[in-house]
Amino acid sequence: MTPELVILGLVVVTALAFDFTNGFHDTGNAMATSIATGALRPKVAVALSASLNLVGAFLSVEVALTVTNAVIKIQDSDGAPRPEFLADGGEALLVIVLAGLVGGILWNLATWLLGLPSSSSHALFGGLVGATIAGLGFNGVNWAGDGTKLDGVVGKVILPALLSPVIAIAVAAVGTWLIHRITEGVAERYRESGFRWGQIGSASLVSLAHGTNDAQKTMGVITLALLASGEWSDTTSIPLWVKVSCAVAIALGTYLGGWRIIRTLGKGLVEISSPQGMAAESSSAAVILTSSHLGFALSTTHVATGSILGTGVGKKGAEVRWGVAGRMALAWLVTLPMAAVVGAIAWYAADLVGGLPGAVVVFVVLVAASGAMYVRSRREPVDHDNVNADWDGMPTQAKV
Amino acid sequence: MENIGFALEGAWQVLLIGLLLGAGLPAVFALGIRSLAYGAGGAAETVDAGHAPPHPVGRLGAAVCFAVVLAGVALGITIVVASGFGKEVSFDHVVPSLVDK
Repeated sequence: MTPELVILGLVVVTALAFDFTNGFHDTGNAMATSIATGALRPKVAVALSASLNLVGAFLSVEVALTVTNAVIKIQDSDGAPRPEFLADGGEALLVIVLAGLVGGILWNLATWLLGLPSSSSHALFGGLVGATIAGLGFNGVNWAGDGTKLDGVVGKVILPALLSPVIAIAVAAVGTWLIHRITEGVAERYRESGFRWGQIGSASLVSLAHGTNDAQKTMGVITLALLASGEWSDTTSIPLWVKVSCAVAIALGTYLGGWRIIRTLGKGLVEISSPQGMAAESSSAAVILTSSHLGFALSTTHVATGSILGTGVGKKGAEVRWGVAGRMALAWLVTLPMAAVVGAIAWYAADLVGGLPGAVVVFVVLVAASGAMYVRSRREPVDHDNVNADWDGMPTQAKV
Repeated sequence: MENIGFALEGAWQVLLIGLLLGAGLPAVFALGIRSLAYGAGGAAETVDAGHAPPHPVGRLGAAVCFAVVLAGVALGITIVVASGFGKEVSFDHVVPSLVDK
């Protein structure tokens, strides 16, 4: 087994690990409101969301090979790795991708530990940007595209992040207001039970859309690594095993459920009722589907969070915890730079040690850091038992 | 900074269609619930304190509303699935139809 092949193996495993964190980081986007209102029992909700993510991942037959082109310049426009990276079995490219993935994973885990929803795609992009700056310099980053379409760090990351919450808040607030106006005079119990169905339906749609959008990104990254090391040569399709493993990884992650994040979204921002839950998920589903249809891709996380805030804004007398929202906004602002810093450090570390040992060191550090954060999370566990406990920061102990 | 122009243009469209589907369809669903309560009468409505008679026409109205919502959801799923298979849903002729991308 050549060293390059081992590095490739590490990249593939790390990419699948990222996909897994992507899954549990985003369960809450679709299911937090249904869990908070009791429309679905927590375990049922994550199982439903996981199956729909699995289905969604297989539905995305379209090749997402050019995913890194949005922010960095290591691929041609048809998805093939640039020729200058093909020396040494593509090692230069593989190390950049590995370091980028490490940045994305560690930022995802850190925000999960804090119970903050933050965009997994922004974490991935941030990691890749950092690793690229470290490895290739500032010119290796696609900052603003070539001006012919929405592109680059500015066009694909910063502007959508600023605009998506605004759009989602507006849509969800209008929806919530309309729903409450229309159903005035309907008995509370009757209304709650009716809207549960709408809530489950709209949440399912969000899950499906998530599977089609997000699993593709990891599939693209793994296939890029395979292309760079010469293990795959077709830029118009993705190997079946890549598709299957990515779909399974994101579904397993979703099933695990990022309970800390689900709790923040479902209980921390707004006390949610079924009509609000339906308004929030409908708004998320409509905005996500519309935006990806129009080629103006928005982060699922930003849209879902905005929608939940919007239902608080649109309902008279509802309390919105703006302090929690502020912490989230802060997390969003620093997602790209922080993941970039971690990605850059990972690249320097790999470069310092050099070659295969460098990649192995980075991988071992990733495993150790992830393990440490997991152990830390067990001190104040949040799971399906205490996810809906009253909001006073983090719950102290699970009720038995 | 052409990006800002593109982004605002995209955002505007997303907001408009998002309002139509993301707030409009839930409103129709709410209308369905309202209508269903009117149809059920009794304790389903808060007016008349549980003594409202059932109105069968309310159930019909509810059925229409829920059908509209289901059609909207079906359209959403079609868009997701179609884009995965390299097709897209075109609204050029008002009635949605599947075309190649």
